Amino acid sequence: MPEQLSIFELIANASPLVQLVMLLLLLASLISWVMIFQRWFFLRRVQGEIEDFEDHFWSGIDLRQLYGELADEDALTGIETAFVAGFKEFTRLSEDGSGDPDAIMQGVQRAMRIALTREEERLETHLPFLATVGSTSPYVGLFGTVWGIMNSFRSLANMTQATLASVAPGISEALVATAMGLFAAIPAVIGYNRFSARVEALMNRYEAFSEELQGILHRVAHARQG
Amino acid sequence: MFDAIRQYSVPLVLALVLHGLAGMALYANWNPTDREKRIIEPPRAVQSSLIVLEPEPAPARTPPAQPKPQPKPEPAQPKPDPAAEQAKREAEAKREAEAKRQAEAQRDAERRAAEERARQEAEARHQRLDELARSAFEEALESEASELAASEAAQAEAVAQSYRRGIYEAVVANWSRPPSARNRMEAELLVELVPTGDVVSVTVIESSGNAAFDRSAEAAVRKARNFEVPKDPDIFEAHFRRFTLLFRPEDLLR
Repeated sequence: MPEQLSIFELIANASPLVQLVMLLLLLASLISWVMIFQRWFFLRRVQGEIEDFEDHFWSGIDLRQLYGELADEDALTGIETAFVAGFKEFTRLSEDGSGDPDAIMQGVQRAMRIALTREEERLETHLPFLATVGSTSPYVGLFGTVWGIMNSFRSLANMTQATLASVAPGISEALVATAMGLFAAIPAVIGYNRFSARVEALMNRYEAFSEELQGILHRVAHARQG
Repeated sequence: MFDAIRQYSVPLVLALVLHGLAGMALYANWNPTDREKRIIEPPRAVQSSLIVLEPEPAPARTPPAQPKPQPKPEPAQPKPDPAAEQAKREAEAKREAEAKRQAEAQRDAERRAAEERARQEAEARHQRLDELARSAFEEALESEASELAASEAAQAEAVAQSYRRGIYEAVVANWSRPPSARNRMEAELLVELVPTGDVVSVTVIESSGNAAFDRSAEAAVRKARNFEVPKDPDIFEAHFRRFTLLFRPEDLLR
């Protein structure tokens, strides 16, 4: 009875190319998990920040006072940055004295859009990597498998009598690469889908907030003019 | 830079832990069918009991029959005068009686000696046999005692062995011999039981090279359906949850 092959023996006996593929996939899996955890914590934090800020914002606080508070802080969260950018633009334009509310609102809108674009970029960091790992690592693993099976069959050609026992270890070792590819890809795909959905939800919230702020500022600008 | 380290160190540690766990799980569970290497051999032991052969009572060796001393032929004597004749006859009778007595005594002694010898011999033989029997018995006792004392595991093993023998016999009893079966064919079967002794699955893991034989062995186990297994769950788990059975009937004719 031949001894059962351990998986580590299988990996150690694989051909160099297959080993390289496996190493690549292991790294991809490791990095994608790092990113999954990092994104997870990050997005959870952002969600909390948005909720805190919105609570604060709708608590009836004077916008000028809020701006004063935030302008002193060094590290602004995403939604705070958007608010500060919009409000700064508003005060600057209204103090310039042109007085055209539409021009003021256009400026505010632009400033906030820029802030939101930056924020979206920040939220979406690493997501492309997850998408890439999710879509390509099965192929990379498959490549390793195909290469391993090719080798295994080629060595079979030298044998006079081919038994299952002479091919099976090679195929088994080659299949480890596919398994690893799937192992890397599945969490990456799930992470990508989940996080991009969350980023979208967060962006919707940002946009809703920015619209609300613009509404308020619009009212103020027109009231001042009128 | 520091911000990056702060942001990524926890995820990195988590990812490494996760991969480590996955690797360990793989290593630990790679052989879920961790097969018991314990194989049920056809029992080599036969049931036996110690019989001490009573020595045949040594036939008391009968002393060789002493040839009866021939009565001395009476010398035909001429008839002398009655007185002399009388005296002579008396002397003769006396002598004759004397000789007779002597012969008798000698015979007696000889017989006694022979009897004594036979008795001694028989006794010695008795003693020897007794000793032999006693030593064999003591040896058996001793070995049994040492075996018992050896360890709990050995006891469990002994129990398992006896049940194994029972299982093997049950399989053999349910086996119908395919015509192509030959001596020295053996098949290794992987049998899985539940604690009630019911057979859950049978698989041939090492073929005898003869498909009919393999099938018949497998069928024998299935036909047995239920085996006697030890009540002790530890012994059951250790020996009978899944075990390999070496099916090697040796009573085939050809």
